Amino acid sequence: MTALLSIRGVSKIYQRGIVANDDVSLELEAGQIYGLLGPNGAGKTTLVSQILGLAQPTSGSIHVEGVDVTRKSVVARKACSYQPQTNAPIEGLTPREAIELVGRIRGATRVDVRRRAEELMDTLQIVEWADKQIPLSGGVGRLTSFCMAAVAPGRICVLDEPTNDVDPLRRKLLWKQVRFLADAGSAVLLVTHNVLEAERSVNRLGIMSGGRLVVQGTPESLMARFGVISLDDVYARVVGPGGVSSKEMAG
Amino acid sequence: MTEALRTYGLLFKWECLRLRSTLALIIVIQVVLAIGVVYGLSFLLPDISGSSALYLATGAPTLSLLILGITVVPQEVARSKDTGRDQYLRALPLPALSMLAASVTFWLLANLPGTALSLWVAKLRFDITLDIDPLVAAVIVLVALTAASVGYALAQSIPPQATQQISSFISIGILLFSPINFPLSRLPQTLQTIHEVLPITYMADLVRWSLTGRATHDPTLSFGVVGLWCLAGLLISYRVATKRR
Repeated sequence: MTALLSIRGVSKIYQRGIVANDDVSLELEAGQIYGLLGPNGAGKTTLVSQILGLAQPTSGSIHVEGVDVTRKSVVARKACSYQPQTNAPIEGLTPREAIELVGRIRGATRVDVRRRAEELMDTLQIVEWADKQIPLSGGVGRLTSFCMAAVAPGRICVLDEPTNDVDPLRRKLLWKQVRFLADAGSAVLLVTHNVLEAERSVNRLGIMSGGRLVVQGTPESLMARFGVISLDDVYARVVGPGGVSSKEMAG
Repeated sequence: MTEALRTYGLLFKWECLRLRSTLALIIVIQVVLAIGVVYGLSFLLPDISGSSALYLATGAPTLSLLILGITVVPQEVARSKDTGRDQYLRALPLPALSMLAASVTFWLLANLPGTALSLWVAKLRFDITLDIDPLVAAVIVLVALTAASVGYALAQSIPPQATQQISSFISIGILLFSPINFPLSRLPQTLQTIHEVLPITYMADLVRWSLTGRATHDPTLSFGVVGLWCLAGLLISYRVATKRR
């Protein structure tokens, strides 16, 4: 199967020699959920910005549906729908207005956007806030941001910490919707700190540290590789004190 | 092109919805400011002659359009960068300058009632005769877009924290040292030379010509100079709007 997203040898070195990411390669196919884990400052957000065409790698290539988006960022913006790490800025708008506007900007018809927005808000149980302009709670804001990414999903959905601040009940509903996006044919790149939830939800995952993608594979293969029974332990073995990443970096 | 217009329309709707709760206040402030410039400055210059009154009356709309471009638009950009809205919209499939176009449209429309009222007040206060040219709308859009494209490029190029100080500094410079409310000949020679290159005197002249039929420069020259500045502003804005980190 051809990868929808293909990242090869991507590095970003800012002025003064700060390395944001270093020789990162990964592939993501339609129907897959790829979890990108790693501590703060690991380079995950930089990688997301590069995929969306907002940041230019110093070297390497990023192909979205076969097109190098380091040269044609417009392709990335059309192909990728995105939930940012912080809540989408919708000051002054109601959740319904924000979701419908983004859906229309992403090219969906008015009828489709209305139907899908209603469906998403209903499924995630946020209908009671749909037409309220008041400042939203963190969780409702987060769910609204997710709906904005899912209302007219791209071939690639980039979700940065989608479950932060969301209550346990709606968290389950949200994971179902993430799976629904993948089953409908999108490739989902999920950036998260939540290792346990990732374990249950992703097809593949990669752990970043110090700008490098240190390990990647299926959850089962990684647990087998490190001889542990949970992803928490894999994560600790990779990024914890004396872990794989520090040894690599020391070496 | 159709797609660009469609997304521009949606962004304009976003602007209107986003600012609807403060729209009435914005219009009131614009009206008070525009009238204040005409009426307030007449206290500063009590024995005002016909020519000075003409400059004052037609300078008020120019000043208001310049402040829109150099102060309001940059501060909106700075706020948008602070809240993450700028970054979010950059990740959507939108033409590079659609955010600028939607913002200018909104603020220009919010500005119009004040501009119209200030002219009416000037007419009553100074007995000015207006002779409005059919090109007045084109002139207003050109002047607003030129100022806004310069303000947008500036705000996209500097940290948000510095935007308010720099845009206020430029506004004061425009208010005090630009031949908008008075003729170019009143400025020292150095400033006159600088203003031969800057678009401000040509903007004021174009607005004066479109409202009263009276102008210092040939309107074709003024259109040419302001048009070139507008093009340069838009090109730089495009460059900064599409620049990747």
